[in-house]
Amino acid sequence: MHPAFSVLIFTVTSGAGYGLLAWLGAGQLLGFTQTLTVNQQIVIGLMAMVLVSIGLASSTMHLANPKNAWRSFSRFRTSWLSREAVFAILLYPVAGLYAAAIFWQWSGINILAGLSMILALVTLFTTSMIYASLKTIRQWNTPMVPALFMAYALISGGVLFLAVDAFFGTLKPQLQAVVMGLVVITLALKLVYFFWQGKPQGATIQTATGFSQASVRLLDAGHSAPTFLNREFGYQVAADQLLRLRVIMTLVTFIVPLALVYCVFGGLVGAELLGLAWLIMMAGLLLERWLFFAEARHVVRLYQGEQRT
Amino acid sequence: MKLGLVVDLDTCVGCHACATACKQWNTSGTIGPLSDERPHGKDPSGSWLNRIHSYEVGDSPHSKTVNIPMSCMHCETADCVTVCPTGASYKREEDGIVLIDQDKCMGCNLCSWACPYGARELDPNSGTMKKCTLCVDRIYDEQLPEAERQPACVLTCPTSSRVFGDFDDPDSEVSRLTRERAGQQLMPELGYNPVNTYLPPRIPKQQDSMSVSPMQGVRQLVNRIINR
Amino acid sequence: MTQSQDLPQFEDHSKQEHRYSTCYMCACRCGIKVTIEDEKIRFVQGNPDHPVNKGVLCAKGNSAIMKQLSPAKLTQPLMRKPGTERGAGEFEPISWDAALDILTARLANIRATDPKKLAYFTGRDQMQALTGLWASQFGTINWAAHGGFCSVNMAAAGLYTMGHSFWEFGDPDWENTKYFMMWGVAEDHASNPIKLGLKRIKERGAKFVAVNPVRTGYQAIADEWIAITPGSDAMFALSMMQVLLREGLIDDEFLIRYTNGPQLVINNPGQQGDGLLLRDAKGNPQIWDQHTNSLQSALSPDVAPALIGEYEASCGTPVRTAFSILMEKYMAPEYAPEAAAKICGVDAGTIERIALEMAHVAFKETITIDTEWTDWAGRTQTQFIGRPVSMHAMRGISAHSNGFQTCRAIHLLQVVLGTIDCPGGHLAKPPFPKHIVPPIKPAKGNAPNTPLESAPLGFPNQPEDLVIDEHGKPRRIDKAYSWDAPIANHGLMHMVISNAVAGDPYRIDTLMLFMANMAWNSSMNTAQTMDMLRAKDDTGEYKIPFIVTCDAFHSETVNFSDLVLPDTTFLERYDTISMLDRPISEVDAACDSIRQPILALDRDVRSWQEVMVDLAGRLKFPAFTNDEGQPKFKDYEDFIINFERAPGIGFLAGWRGKNGDKSLRGEPNPNQWKAYIDNQCFFKFELEPNQRYMRHANKDYMELAKEAGWVGSTDQIVIEIYSETLQKFRLAGQGLYNGPQPTEEHHKERLKTYFDPLPFYYAPLEQQRTDAEKYPFYAVNQRPMFMYHSWDSQNSWLRQIMSQNYLYMHRSKGEALGIKDFGWAWVESHNGRIRAQVKLMEGVNPETVWTWNAIAKQQGTWGLSDDANESQQGFLMNHLINELLPGETEAGGHRMTNSDPVTGQAAWYDLRVKITPVGADETDLAEQNLTWPRFDKVKPLPSFTPASKMSSYSTHPNINISRGWRDIFSRGDK
Repeated sequence: MHPAFSVLIFTVTSGAGYGLLAWLGAGQLLGFTQTLTVNQQIVIGLMAMVLVSIGLASSTMHLANPKNAWRSFSRFRTSWLSREAVFAILLYPVAGLYAAAIFWQWSGINILAGLSMILALVTLFTTSMIYASLKTIRQWNTPMVPALFMAYALISGGVLFLAVDAFFGTLKPQLQAVVMGLVVITLALKLVYFFWQGKPQGATIQTATGFSQASVRLLDAGHSAPTFLNREFGYQVAADQLLRLRVIMTLVTFIVPLALVYCVFGGLVGAELLGLAWLIMMAGLLLERWLFFAEARHVVRLYQGEQRT
Repeated sequence: MKLGLVVDLDTCVGCHACATACKQWNTSGTIGPLSDERPHGKDPSGSWLNRIHSYEVGDSPHSKTVNIPMSCMHCETADCVTVCPTGASYKREEDGIVLIDQDKCMGCNLCSWACPYGARELDPNSGTMKKCTLCVDRIYDEQLPEAERQPACVLTCPTSSRVFGDFDDPDSEVSRLTRERAGQQLMPELGYNPVNTYLPPRIPKQQDSMSVSPMQGVRQLVNRIINR
Repeated sequence: MTQSQDLPQFEDHSKQEHRYSTCYMCACRCGIKVTIEDEKIRFVQGNPDHPVNKGVLCAKGNSAIMKQLSPAKLTQPLMRKPGTERGAGEFEPISWDAALDILTARLANIRATDPKKLAYFTGRDQMQALTGLWASQFGTINWAAHGGFCSVNMAAAGLYTMGHSFWEFGDPDWENTKYFMMWGVAEDHASNPIKLGLKRIKERGAKFVAVNPVRTGYQAIADEWIAITPGSDAMFALSMMQVLLREGLIDDEFLIRYTNGPQLVINNPGQQGDGLLLRDAKGNPQIWDQHTNSLQSALSPDVAPALIGEYEASCGTPVRTAFSILMEKYMAPEYAPEAAAKICGVDAGTIERIALEMAHVAFKETITIDTEWTDWAGRTQTQFIGRPVSMHAMRGISAHSNGFQTCRAIHLLQVVLGTIDCPGGHLAKPPFPKHIVPPIKPAKGNAPNTPLESAPLGFPNQPEDLVIDEHGKPRRIDKAYSWDAPIANHGLMHMVISNAVAGDPYRIDTLMLFMANMAWNSSMNTAQTMDMLRAKDDTGEYKIPFIVTCDAFHSETVNFSDLVLPDTTFLERYDTISMLDRPISEVDAACDSIRQPILALDRDVRSWQEVMVDLAGRLKFPAFTNDEGQPKFKDYEDFIINFERAPGIGFLAGWRGKNGDKSLRGEPNPNQWKAYIDNQCFFKFELEPNQRYMRHANKDYMELAKEAGWVGSTDQIVIEIYSETLQKFRLAGQGLYNGPQPTEEHHKERLKTYFDPLPFYYAPLEQQRTDAEKYPFYAVNQRPMFMYHSWDSQNSWLRQIMSQNYLYMHRSKGEALGIKDFGWAWVESHNGRIRAQVKLMEGVNPETVWTWNAIAKQQGTWGLSDDANESQQGFLMNHLINELLPGETEAGGHRMTNSDPVTGQAAWYDLRVKITPVGADETDLAEQNLTWPRFDKVKPLPSFTPASKMSSYSTHPNINISRGWRDIFSRGDK
């Protein structure tokens, strides 16, 4: 699949935003935001919503006919993209009320915090299901995809929360330990995903053409220049290049940030490096998302001559 | 009704007539225009609703060339419809035709991602998705002569390798052909339940030949008395 | 379908109008029904009533709109800018009046001095009856169309064997045939009729065998594919002939009644008259009558001729039947299947089997049609007997220098099986069959201000008919009808530029080209041809002093013209598709058709036929001028109505007679055009059931044919398995002919070797002179089904299907050479080398490489942008081919034409090449994905408007089907 930059930015940035908001809500419910002032909590909430908004704005950039974007709320009943749009928009008033509740210390603050957290996670889930629901792309059509999307959001939001927490001087070692644990779990899940992805399975050029008894090779695609389908689905990266990028991605997304958080945890370096850890992780996640697209092989490629997906 | 096409792979010579007839009709049709980017430049690329792929099945010297025209299969389980957030994509209840309301599409491409058959192409000019309409603007147009109320691709196919009809009607030609010639769906394992079927190439019947003379050498040709 | 609820009215039919015409996206001439809306084309579809295409239309016809919108359309007459060099592409607009004044003055001068100094050659035209008449009236023998590099081998072999041929003069009996064999049919040929026919035979379960080195297009759906070695088809055919003879599987009744098989041939080797037919005092050929055991006239009905045997003529001369010679020839060991297999690449078992399968169908699956008919002798026959084996052959046979004899070999197979013009066999299309040979002789000489005595092209049947001077030198610029190519019935267009520049046989003044892309894909040897067009003599004068091009589009050839006359498109003019020309008839009906203007002209162009009629009047051609010396015809339409070739016979056969009530023959009808337009622009005259078969010997048919002017007499057309015509030329080569004989050794050798009265296999001439070890691959090319000649790269829809060609080669060969799929390779021949991108495939003869022809374009032409794929990645194989044979020069210092020695057909399928991967050290250009050689960019013409970056054609804004909100909100998964 063609990795559209706007979609990479969208999923990674809004993911971090939703994650951050989820941590804020969890902090309210579990009590670890009590060390923060009202203003500090609102700043974190604002940061989350800014990240979410940057992501959402970016997502509309890949629309070829954005004047109809407003219609995307209408097919809530079946479309994960529509559901995502609805939940994403719904989150704004809820998050706004949550901010008001923090500011004015409303009694229902826990409900609004919980609601914000749930909406953030649900929106994340709907985003991930846009991909996971596609039977045409076996690399995406797995429950591991929503799990990973949620996990990425929680670790990128989590490291950001730690960084901000540290900035406010209220860094909590327990939270650091939890986030580090999540990073390890996410890494493990990702490695399982890579292993699963490498297994040969799914449709082949034989099932695509209906000639199951013999070799099938493309002779002529019917067009000599690339079409929309080639550009959208025909993205091609050399296998050795992919392997190299997977290693880099794993280092940048998981290992380096984990090491930095651990060093802060162990007091080996200053807590301000948590911000750096977050930036590195975000860069890694952008690469992860790029790979997520680049390695996804749509079945249409079988008609364009590939032997398997 | 369950409208769709039968494509006969036994007789398709891969001439692209269906593809350009489709382009021609539909560029002024209900989902038109079908735009072309760099029409006279490098890598010309436009939106088409029907394309023909040619494959070689089997290894030389026993390979067979097979031409497979591909357009929307009007699937019964049309994920392209369910994923559409705006409601632009839909499957008509009365005849099963999958359509795109051009006024509602926002060009998110998701339906094309959901389609396993490459049936949906984004128009480079309008930014809306285009796909086969089964020429809904021909088949119901009572001002056209009855014989011409067919999709443009079917009307033009020089080897009549495309047949249009109602798969819900067991007596229709499409149902009959699918039954008699073991018409099959492409990539059935994905579960889209495509309506269009493809008739596999026929196994040629054994041709009898004259037996060879048991005598060694020339079988004698002799003059017969035949009046001019 | 009945009206579905809630659908809008998509088309405003009140604003639409239907106009019928005839397609010209290729040479098939299908009927079209065009829907017009606001004077724009809404839809072009096949006319369901039309005999040629029966409602279907190909990819090209369906893209007619985009050709009409081509940015390459010429818009005004152009003159090469004074002081600029030819080929520099500097033009200035000129008015039609000025252009025609210049041309008239030049032509009048040529006509008054030496008319042959005008060479007039036409390309993909469909009006040779008019251009030929025009040349004949002008008085130049130097006229021909493009048949010399297209199909003359097919036309000549057919006409000299059975009076009709493949392609336009005949068709398989699609309705009845049970076994169809297709030889070397390129994909752009006979597009819709072949496809319609293939569908018919496939659905009836008839067997379809394809003989072709490449398995694409039609061959894809063949039941059996024979991956023959290019140029070896005669060996395959004649080896099957041996199997049939060996097994005695021949139709002796057919051979005796309808062919010259039983005719007696003089067997006097080394003597004058050897190999000629034994004739009586009246000139009648003789047979041995088994009733009377005596020599009798072969034309007599009351004899029982011996098919096989050696006899003695009254004077003691030994004679034998033509069929005896045939048997002796094809029973030779060289045609045994095991020996043939080594040449043609088809294994011996397959050769045997196919022959025996055909014999089974012919003799055990015979069909009969119970219709009474009268044979040539007036005897009533009760049925037509059908041997339902049929064949079709085209370019893969034609474009070899052994194509004439190969095509005759294929016809001979059909003849011994008795499958000619019978139910299920190969049927003629009116006005064919013709007598063998048609009684038109090529004009021999010309005189100032005098029309030719006959047409420039005709059908020689003896050396006396050659167009040579008293020294035996060619009179025509293309050397057609000379010892180089004695039966060059279509001329040698591919030699015109080369010969004119060499001044051999003489220099010309003006070269007039109509729709022929001679500076690019229609010439062998493209780069050198460009140099020739620019070549000057010592005085600084161009060797071809004046070049006039008439074309509708900015082709590469336009760039080399001194005067450019812009033509209309086929949707903007009147045309006739006449039976005097290349007929569109069906096997059971005589047909012709017209074109009418569908669209109004929007630029300063004129139809070429209009201009020709105008010029004919200005130049005062007798046939175009009345007694007062004034032009006789107002315009082209007037000419078509009123011109009569013979009394009552004109260009159009329908609605003749003053009231339009006569068919085929009748006085001119002033309302004839309207009658055609009212009848969907075509005329179809159906033959009666008793006139539909065995027409070579069918009195009911021949009488009609004579009345219609298709034949000169109702005599039987005797099929010539043995060609006395060829033998006369062979005798001339042997020095045994009582008439003109060649003086040069190489001519003698060619006549002796290749003018065999019975077809035989020989290696194509270029291959005889090419080192097969050095150049191990055969190289051929063809056009894809969705493109026609050079036309369709300007078509924005068709070029999306293909804007780049590849060199296709067998996967195993490519891998052995280290060439990957889509890798780059050098392709080298004796004439030069090209660099091309390779595509590996399975379905190709392993010794053969091939490509799609004429995809490549010169940068700057055809309305394409400078970076268009056609000029960057497209390549022509033409660079590798030379119009002259490689190797040593002949006596007299000149190299022989690379053509069939009999017909002069350009032999552009004889090429052999060497393939080498592009080395790592020379990837500079390949890395940029560019083919080689590269040419200078052609400058844009005055007032050229480049195409826009985006095109969204439609005749009206789309009427969208709006999905309601209720449905959007309420529908679930289903």
